Amino acid sequence: MVDLDVEQASDANLVVAVGRWYEPALAEVYRRHGGAVHALARRILRSDPPAEEVTQEVFLDLWRHPEKFDAQRGTLRSFLLARTHGKSVDVVRSEESRRRREERMTRETATAAYDIDREVWDMAVAEQVKDALGALPDELRQPIELAYFGGRTYREVAVLLDEPEGTVKSRIRSGLGRLRVHLAERGVEPAGAGL
Amino acid sequence: MSTQPTPLSHTEIEEFLGAYALDAVDRETADIIEAHLDGCVRCAAEVSQHHEVAGLLANSGGVPPAELWEGIAGRLGGTSEESWDRLAARLDVPADRPSDGAVPGERVPQPHRAVASGGDVVPIGTARRRSRLVAAGAGLVAAAAAVIALVLGLQVHHLNGQVNALQATQNLSTAERAAIAAPNTTRVVMSAPGATGQGSTPATIVLTAAGTGFVINDAGDGLAPLPSDRTYQLWGVVGSKVISLGLLGSRPGIVPFSVAGSHGVSAFAITDEVAGGVVASANQPVAEGKVQV
Repeated sequence: MVDLDVEQASDANLVVAVGRWYEPALAEVYRRHGGAVHALARRILRSDPPAEEVTQEVFLDLWRHPEKFDAQRGTLRSFLLARTHGKSVDVVRSEESRRRREERMTRETATAAYDIDREVWDMAVAEQVKDALGALPDELRQPIELAYFGGRTYREVAVLLDEPEGTVKSRIRSGLGRLRVHLAERGVEPAGAGL
Repeated sequence: MSTQPTPLSHTEIEEFLGAYALDAVDRETADIIEAHLDGCVRCAAEVSQHHEVAGLLANSGGVPPAELWEGIAGRLGGTSEESWDRLAARLDVPADRPSDGAVPGERVPQPHRAVASGGDVVPIGTARRRSRLVAAGAGLVAAAAAVIALVLGLQVHHLNGQVNALQATQNLSTAERAAIAAPNTTRVVMSAPGATGQGSTPATIVLTAAGTGFVINDAGDGLAPLPSDRTYQLWGVVGSKVISLGLLGSRPGIVPFSVAGSHGVSAFAITDEVAGGVVASANQPVAEGKVQV
């Protein structure tokens, strides 16, 4: 395993090498995906110190439990980003953050919150993804953005958008499904197990 | 696991999958959904797809900060002892979801838990399998005498920290090498039944004082690859009983297993079985070795 050419290795092979405590493999995983992980954590947390901590935890978790990644379930990047999102949201929802957010939510309108998310959104998202997202009706796009980048629960999104909870829940699901179709139409084929 | 009753129907859970994939449900709901995902391939696949789409939305990373890597590397630990601790801890963590499976085609350590005491059979797979095996355990007592008779006395080395040729095997991780080299680690050189003297070494078993062991078949000319519908199965003789210590797969490399409890394994045997393993083997071992204490 020490002969593994990490730069040429597939993500799955890197994870196997990580499972054997081969540190250069983890370094390569970080080189490939650390930027995306850190960027997502910063978007959600909007603050560097906790975003850096989340980023470190994501890679340390992979080091400790590489077996949690299942290559048949999707790409390593989506796995790491899902972990990043979960950890970031946990931080956002910690008691102190919750208090601050609730105070802010009482002042914010749904539109204002949407604009904030839109601002960071526009900076770096790939053209196809923007196109696909733009093709979504607002009522499907907004819940996804508020939940994903805002770290909000569907119930919070329902309050922000003044919609029934069940409606928001369904729209997040159908919006993600539509997004997938739109991305495929633009040549972006998300990986993952087929239905 | 998936045995927990869920207050939500499949259809109701389906409606949650998008929000769940975006971490937009509360913890209690997430627990219910995760219990459902353990047993529902279709819903698990949908969540994976949502994660992929969400990952694309976030897919905007540039160059990762180098100083962050320094922080990560500084927390990985460095010494072999620490590596071994991590490995031991990992082997003690039960797989909590099917998605925690191995990367296809590669060996990833999976804990095989032995009975602590009083049981007849070691679970070698899922909880479902465990119950079936325990129910059928009585037959093993009869099989025990046969297997014991087959197990020949073989050399055992207490390494006392010495590094032997196995450690030169490049496929061994630092942690595995540390385990082999650790004091009180017992090495059992398996041999094919009927083999005499030097030469044939189908596999080596390394058993730590803590009860974690490795079947090492790195030599390439040891346990030959089997057809995909076959598997090697590891057995241990504990007292008067023969217990399954786990399936080694059709192409074993280095496979960890665990022998919990105070009852020592006095001998090991490896058989060639149908994929999925058997409760009690009627086959002649392809390798066997006795532990000397």
